Amino acid sequence: MFNYYRIFFISWLAIVLPIAALADTVCFDCHKKEAFSGKVVHQPLANGQCSACHNPHVAHFKGLLEQEGSALCFSCHAKEQVAFKQGMVHQPVRSGQCLVCHVAHASSREGLLKDPLSAACFGCHTKLPAKFQYTHTPYAQGQCYSCHLPHQSVFGQLLKDEPDKVCLSCHKSQDLQKGHLNYPGTLRDCLSCHNPHGSSRKGIVRDVLHAPFAQGCKECHDKGEIQGSTQSCLRCHEAVATGMFTRHSHLTGKGENKCVSCHSPHAGNEKNLLKGSQLQVCRGCHTDTIARYENKLYRHPKAKEGSCTNCHEVHGSNRIAMLRADGNAICTRCHETQGKFTHPVGEKVVDVRTGLMVTCITCHLPMGSDFKYELIYSGSKDLCIQCHKRY
Amino acid sequence: MKYVKNMLSQSALLAVSIFMVATTSMAAEPWAWKATLDGTGSGRVIDMPTALYIDAERQRYYVVDSGGNRLVSFSKEGNFLLAFTAEEKLQIPYDMIRDNADVIWVVERGRNSLTSINIKAKEILPHIIKDGQKALVPDRLDYKDGIIYVLDKQTGQIALLGSDLTVKNWISCAECPSGIVDFKLTNDGIWALDQLDKKVVQLGADGKLIRQFDIGQKVEFPVSLAIGPAGYVYVLDRHAADIDVFDAQGSFKYTFLTKGWQRGALYYPIEILFDPWGGLCVVEEGNGRVEVFGR
Repeated sequence: MFNYYRIFFISWLAIVLPIAALADTVCFDCHKKEAFSGKVVHQPLANGQCSACHNPHVAHFKGLLEQEGSALCFSCHAKEQVAFKQGMVHQPVRSGQCLVCHVAHASSREGLLKDPLSAACFGCHTKLPAKFQYTHTPYAQGQCYSCHLPHQSVFGQLLKDEPDKVCLSCHKSQDLQKGHLNYPGTLRDCLSCHNPHGSSRKGIVRDVLHAPFAQGCKECHDKGEIQGSTQSCLRCHEAVATGMFTRHSHLTGKGENKCVSCHSPHAGNEKNLLKGSQLQVCRGCHTDTIARYENKLYRHPKAKEGSCTNCHEVHGSNRIAMLRADGNAICTRCHETQGKFTHPVGEKVVDVRTGLMVTCITCHLPMGSDFKYELIYSGSKDLCIQCHKRY
Repeated sequence: MKYVKNMLSQSALLAVSIFMVATTSMAAEPWAWKATLDGTGSGRVIDMPTALYIDAERQRYYVVDSGGNRLVSFSKEGNFLLAFTAEEKLQIPYDMIRDNADVIWVVERGRNSLTSINIKAKEILPHIIKDGQKALVPDRLDYKDGIIYVLDKQTGQIALLGSDLTVKNWISCAECPSGIVDFKLTNDGIWALDQLDKKVVQLGADGKLIRQFDIGQKVEFPVSLAIGPAGYVYVLDRHAADIDVFDAQGSFKYTFLTKGWQRGALYYPIEILFDPWGGLCVVEEGNGRVEVFGR
């Protein structure tokens, strides 16, 4: 029986290998083989299987490709297709743009990377400075993978592990204790004080210090453990307290102090002491919402740049979607003329579907849409007949 | 004897067939729109409704008109009955219940209070609920056996209040690190929703965990849950504007309803609950209405 299979396998190889070699020969009769060579060659190409991705005669997609974007890659990398849908997913992965970082044929770098590692990251993350006054060593050396994963992670900011564990993977806890002699309580939450990339302060302590923290720890850590509740923050930040007693507030998150869900009680990169950029902080909870709109064809510039607070009152609001003003006032702050010369809007104009006031957001979805002007439906007909049935 | 046996077996077969056809057709019956509770009858739109209270005894729905600062009642057929403004004193009402003594309890966001309204005595009293020095931030409400269940938004735990409004006990969910955002009292305990961790938990009356399951694979932004007559768990997704259904063990069953503004579609829904007449009620903050669906 075993011999039978062996004979069958050898016969199969005898037929298939010459065909593969033939494919290799035929394609490279025209396409220069040197252009497809490198230290690392994509396996189908190395096996002469150009037709694994390309159709030699006709195809729907550019480059005679059988499929487009990640759909083509996932036709072989099926395990990755499943894995890359879990947790936080890197934006190019989510939008199926594998070739933002990888090349399809051959590269001088492992993983068929297009550019050196840090160049691949900085190619998109342009707001990150090349270096700081005090720069964290892995960052200075372009070793983004020391802390981050490139495709997806169950941890925020695509970290490899929980933030403290990532720090402790290099920094020995005994050494850390020596550097934090007056630290009240258990040493933890490194990113609450340190910028993992770099800062203008020694020890890469974040640039802006919370006033009580700058004066010492006792105000909140009188007995060693944390004393600060949401109320202790609101005692000073009275305006924020007003925002909390609204129809919808962001009084949410883990632990007793809800403020520290978004803000660091110690130090931050900016005056608002946010734990990251606005988009990063909001994405921490609103992962699905941001993912849903991120790849839409038309997006409001402020949504695109991740300036959530431009339209949303993040502490609390009495309006839908925690908007800063009603669906007209929020837009006419900038779009003054549209508030006067456009489809009638305002209190006297009723949406026949609901009986509510027609506003800009009755027709527009600034977060993102596949229709021009961020319209909710196609402006050629579908949108209008929502209300104007006879037309 | 043989004839009787045949008759019996044929009858049994027929009964099984009828039962199977009936159950199959029942299972296949889709949810359909039944009624809309909106502001038409009152002459004013319901502006951002946030909750519905169902009075089974009186056969009435009460819609909390959060933007209009009023409570609007409807018959069980969906006909407008009355708009109650509490002498224009309500400040952003958010949820309500009625207790055995006919006192209406309203969460007022504007005052951060649990306000009692005694209609017979014409008395409206806001109460700031405290546990020791800490003031609660009342959110969702329910009532059972003389106890007011108040979800505290600050802690994500449920406070059990006696008639003197002191906190008699807390129900907290150790398995819900981000706290509870909605809960429903049932005969077999408390079902609760952890929004940020995307999790449904069933707790005993004493607060002990009975079961839990993750809903993260199917739900984007859960805001409310309800337990159906057959024991299925209905989870309302605010951002996806649909309802995801799970069995009591957490197996996903199906999704229904979609985002929209037309009748039967949802826009920024905020609460779901079953009425005693087989209807599934969805409070739609974005569309200013409550829609009742039936099968």
